[in-house]
Amino acid sequence: MEHTATYIGLIPLFPLVGALVLGLMHMLTCTKNPFPEKLYGILACVGPLLSFFLALVVYYHLKGLPAEERFLSHNAFTWFAVGDLQVNMGFLADPLSSLMLLFVTFIGSLIHIYSIGYMAGDKNFGKFFAYLNLFLGSMLILVLGSGPVVMFVGWEGVGLCSYLLISFYSEDTDNVLAGNKAFIVNRIGDLGFVLGMSFLFWAIGTHGFDYLSLKANAHNLTPGIGIAVCLLLFIGACGKSAQIPLYVWLPDAMAGPTPVSALIHAATMVTAGVYMVARFSFLYAHFPLAGSIVAWVGILTALLAAFFGMFQKDIKKILAYSTVSQLGYMFAAVGIAAYSAGIFHVFTHAFFKALLFLGAGSVIYALHHQQDIWKMGGLKDKMPKTYGTMLIGALALSGAPLFSGFFSKDEILFSALASGHTGIWIIGVLVAGMTAYYTFRMIFLVFHGEPRDKEIYDHAKDAPPVMTIPLIILAVGAAFAGVLNLPGIFGGSLNISHWLAPSLVEHHPHVSIWIEILAIVTSIAAFAAGITIAYRKFGHGAEEPEYTGFAKFGYNKFYVDEIYNAVFVQPYKAVGSVISKFLEPNVTDIHVKLCTWLYQKAGKAFKVFQVGYIRVYAIYMVIGLSLMSLFLSQSLK
Amino acid sequence: MFEHALSVMIFLPILTGLVMLLFPLSKGTARITGFVVTVAILFRGIEIFLGFTGTGGMEYVESHSWIQSLGISYGLGIDGISLLVLMAGTVLFPMVFTIFKTQSKGYYANLLIAQGAMIGTICATDLVLFYIFWEVMLLPIFFMIGLYGGPKRIPATLKITIYTIAGSLLMLAALVYVAVSYHTQFGKWTFDIVQLSELNLGSGFAVWAFLMFMIAFAIKIPLFPFHTWLPDAYTEAPTSTTFVLSAIMAKIGVYGVIRFVVPVFEIEFARFAVLLSLAGVTGMIYCGLAAISQKDMKRMLAFSSASHMGIIALGVFCMNVQALTGTLFQIAAHATSTGVLFLFVGLMEERMQTRKIEDLGGIAYRAPIFATFFAIAMLASVGLPGTSGFIGEFLIILGAIKFNAFIGILAGTTLIIGVCYMLWMFQRVFFEKSNERTEEFQDLNVSEALTFLPVIVLILAMGIFPQTFIKKIEPAARQQIVKVFTIPQAQVADTTVPTLGHNNHKK
Amino acid sequence: MIQDYLILSVILFCLGILGVITRRNVFTVFMSIELMLNAANLAFLAFSRLHESMDGHVLVMMVMAVAAAEAALALAVVILLHKHKGKLDTNVFSLLRG
Repeated sequence: MEHTATYIGLIPLFPLVGALVLGLMHMLTCTKNPFPEKLYGILACVGPLLSFFLALVVYYHLKGLPAEERFLSHNAFTWFAVGDLQVNMGFLADPLSSLMLLFVTFIGSLIHIYSIGYMAGDKNFGKFFAYLNLFLGSMLILVLGSGPVVMFVGWEGVGLCSYLLISFYSEDTDNVLAGNKAFIVNRIGDLGFVLGMSFLFWAIGTHGFDYLSLKANAHNLTPGIGIAVCLLLFIGACGKSAQIPLYVWLPDAMAGPTPVSALIHAATMVTAGVYMVARFSFLYAHFPLAGSIVAWVGILTALLAAFFGMFQKDIKKILAYSTVSQLGYMFAAVGIAAYSAGIFHVFTHAFFKALLFLGAGSVIYALHHQQDIWKMGGLKDKMPKTYGTMLIGALALSGAPLFSGFFSKDEILFSALASGHTGIWIIGVLVAGMTAYYTFRMIFLVFHGEPRDKEIYDHAKDAPPVMTIPLIILAVGAAFAGVLNLPGIFGGSLNISHWLAPSLVEHHPHVSIWIEILAIVTSIAAFAAGITIAYRKFGHGAEEPEYTGFAKFGYNKFYVDEIYNAVFVQPYKAVGSVISKFLEPNVTDIHVKLCTWLYQKAGKAFKVFQVGYIRVYAIYMVIGLSLMSLFLSQSLK
Repeated sequence: MFEHALSVMIFLPILTGLVMLLFPLSKGTARITGFVVTVAILFRGIEIFLGFTGTGGMEYVESHSWIQSLGISYGLGIDGISLLVLMAGTVLFPMVFTIFKTQSKGYYANLLIAQGAMIGTICATDLVLFYIFWEVMLLPIFFMIGLYGGPKRIPATLKITIYTIAGSLLMLAALVYVAVSYHTQFGKWTFDIVQLSELNLGSGFAVWAFLMFMIAFAIKIPLFPFHTWLPDAYTEAPTSTTFVLSAIMAKIGVYGVIRFVVPVFEIEFARFAVLLSLAGVTGMIYCGLAAISQKDMKRMLAFSSASHMGIIALGVFCMNVQALTGTLFQIAAHATSTGVLFLFVGLMEERMQTRKIEDLGGIAYRAPIFATFFAIAMLASVGLPGTSGFIGEFLIILGAIKFNAFIGILAGTTLIIGVCYMLWMFQRVFFEKSNERTEEFQDLNVSEALTFLPVIVLILAMGIFPQTFIKKIEPAARQQIVKVFTIPQAQVADTTVPTLGHNNHKK
Repeated sequence: MIQDYLILSVILFCLGILGVITRRNVFTVFMSIELMLNAANLAFLAFSRLHESMDGHVLVMMVMAVAAAEAALALAVVILLHKHKGKLDTNVFSLLRG
């Protein structure tokens, strides 16, 4: 069943070595005379490209094997072994991880190339690429890890890089606070992950703690523990993939450089939660209750984030909420056990969302770090390449027919309908309409109409080729990636779903063709409705409105950040200062205080005997000696 | 020489220290002498580590009869339980002598004596010998804080000294009780821990003896609520003393519990395990919360250290092999992370004459090497996978879940609490805008960088290849657990409710 | 026979104690102490006679020698005390009052 392939261990190693080299170069020279940017740029792209190459090799290697034998593994060394717990630093490439590998390394490489242009002139150029390489290495460990603990290494590694890159412009306190927020919120999720792993280990992990052994033993799980494990792991996924209630960090994470937002906070890291749920499909498929909770949390997140996205004015924040919303779709998919649909959406989303972010990055770059869409307008003549590619991305995101997002989103909505989750399907269609609305609101405001800020408009121009070529490549992907998983109704054969089948535990329901048609028609209708409303309101230029009532509530994101601050952050700090100002000096030390108090009182009590006159001491001596003599004579009798 | 490796490691620094005190040396000579001695000890330590076979038994044993009439012997030995504690005590010491160059001769002499006594405490297999080293260990600490500490050093010194001595005296009393019980049961005197562990303590007083032992160790660890000496002592002590206190002396408290309390008082230990582990977890949360509101970096690290010690102690009380191994590993890992953070703070204080978090900022721009090293140690201390801090913490949480799910979940919150105060501190010290004070901050020079580099590499190596260490300590941990679990289950079963003085193992 | 000597010795000793406790002059206190020493000497001698051994005599010699040395030292101290305070009243010297 399993084949060993030593070379898969190299896939994460290349970027990690790159990170080490770049990091050392930057650390040792940045205060004196740094190396030229070209050197950094070339070195930075070597690792990701080599990894991408190896990912292709893995793909073809797997393809050459019979479907049920598509498991390549490599145990590099025993990481730690204590009692029954045996954790290997092992890697597993199966259809699921190979798909993730391919697009992570592919998009990762493109974004590295794009960043050479975007980050040009930054004094921390080397540091940026060291972090980016480190991120890619961690992400590949996450994807390739052969068991939950190794996955957790990558899981926390990407969290660290996310923190480092969000607070990259660290002179500004807000950026660092956004980084802290991301790390801490992720850590809350990680707590769930660690606890889930621990329960899982004691339940079924003692005979091997990697996916394949766990899968073989999964039937021994009792429902109580099983559901607890699923939900705890899902808390981890909520943290990493920004779901309710832990989504708050992702919009703030836009403080980082735009390529980071594209790579980490849109295409790869944030989808790790979905990947994890798919990886544990053998658990979630056993416990539909846990699955439904996942699905409902996902679809509600999708709704909430889409709603927030409709009112944002920062171009990156719109995309961030859109990412949260799309992630919600993916969780809805994996929650209703349509794993391949979820992973397919991860795949297409990576292309069009990375494209949109990089496009937004080009706009921001051209406008000298202006991110407010109400200051833009009419840019389509000045930046045709950016406009064209972003339009493709927007169409894909809002699910325009025949673009990649259409197929993947339709697959999810169809699965929801087919498996009887009508509520999820209705909300899903509604969100699809909202998505189309806010995406084209953004497109219309940025590229159409009259320029709102003449001075900015005049200086805008398309980015250099090093930035536009990746955009074009991604646009091709965003437009056509859907072809890889064409459903039967369009004459395809669900290639990706079949490819993923050996890794996942899922059942494809057989339903009538009319349901499929119903799903397609409603989602096209939702798209059309969304785009029409957006065109009516913003197609011919519009001024920034004053939000009132419920819209204002939405514009302020339901005050969730403020509520969290009041409910968690401030009480936390208050408890801290109560402890250090009141409890610690006055209460916790009480036993010591009591001892010293007793000691002092006893001293005072005995003081009366110390009169200072020799003859009184002599009396004490006489009394003492007499008593001793008496005692001795008594005991001698 | 080889059969006396441990004796050499104990007495070489003590004697050197005493000789240094007697002769008029300049502080430079004293520092270099100290450095040479600690490096020699370091090599011995590495040799012992490499030669250690890890079968679970005692190695490098030395045993000579000392006071025959009472069965007291001069017994030394190393097994998986003490190996990493010993490593923490040998590997990190030379750094102190290379980084802090301005201390006086007496200070360096005291440091050496402290090292010798600590190694003695770690290696002793005889309770009386252990007790002697245990007390000797406090003497140099007393002088180092009392003579060379910060402005409020006198109250801090008195508090740590009296507090810990009070605990030690309780231990002495309990120790005599144990030996007397052994004498009544087997008809001979001994203080050897291996023989004492065969003791079957029957009377109700055993609970009190157990508590007396536990209080002594709880004060040293320090376990909540006996930690109140720690913030003052850690803050007022010279930084290298704080380093010694947190990296090694606190660990000896945990080590003492594993080595001396668990084997002798299995039943009492099992009875109180829930209560003790709650104390560990409470301490972790309490000190972690206190850390966030500290304004002084060193005081913040002191609370952080106390918080981590809560988790480390928890691993002992969970009574399974994962948690115990986690503790033993974390003992060394914590020394490399929080211990080293203390050294970094000391360096910052030497360069900028302040430890106040609000006075700092933007150090990362001026000193990238320093900031990177600091960040790696900090990440190890918050338990990031790939650094030394993760393995131990993970194993302890894993074991705690098995022991008691509720305590396990509480223990897990260390993941969150640690990050909160550390990141906020890192932000205010290393990021944000720099000011006149930090503009002048010099990055690590070559010799300093080379001093810290091995530890930073060690932090990463312990995170990536922990099995090198774990395979040496795991057999001993497993033996210990097997021993605890061989107590007749019935005896433990109805005694898990910790009622004081309730005697339910009468013969 | 031996009782008589011992009773005398006890009487002498009690007188000495009484002197130490009641008198306030340093010299008188000192003399009372000497009296107690001599009471002890008398008891030694009596027992020595009873047991027909010379051990008691040896001790008596020892006590007398020490008492002589002590007297020399004590007188010196008394002179200093007098120089210091101008009085020899023991109530003046009560610095150890708690």
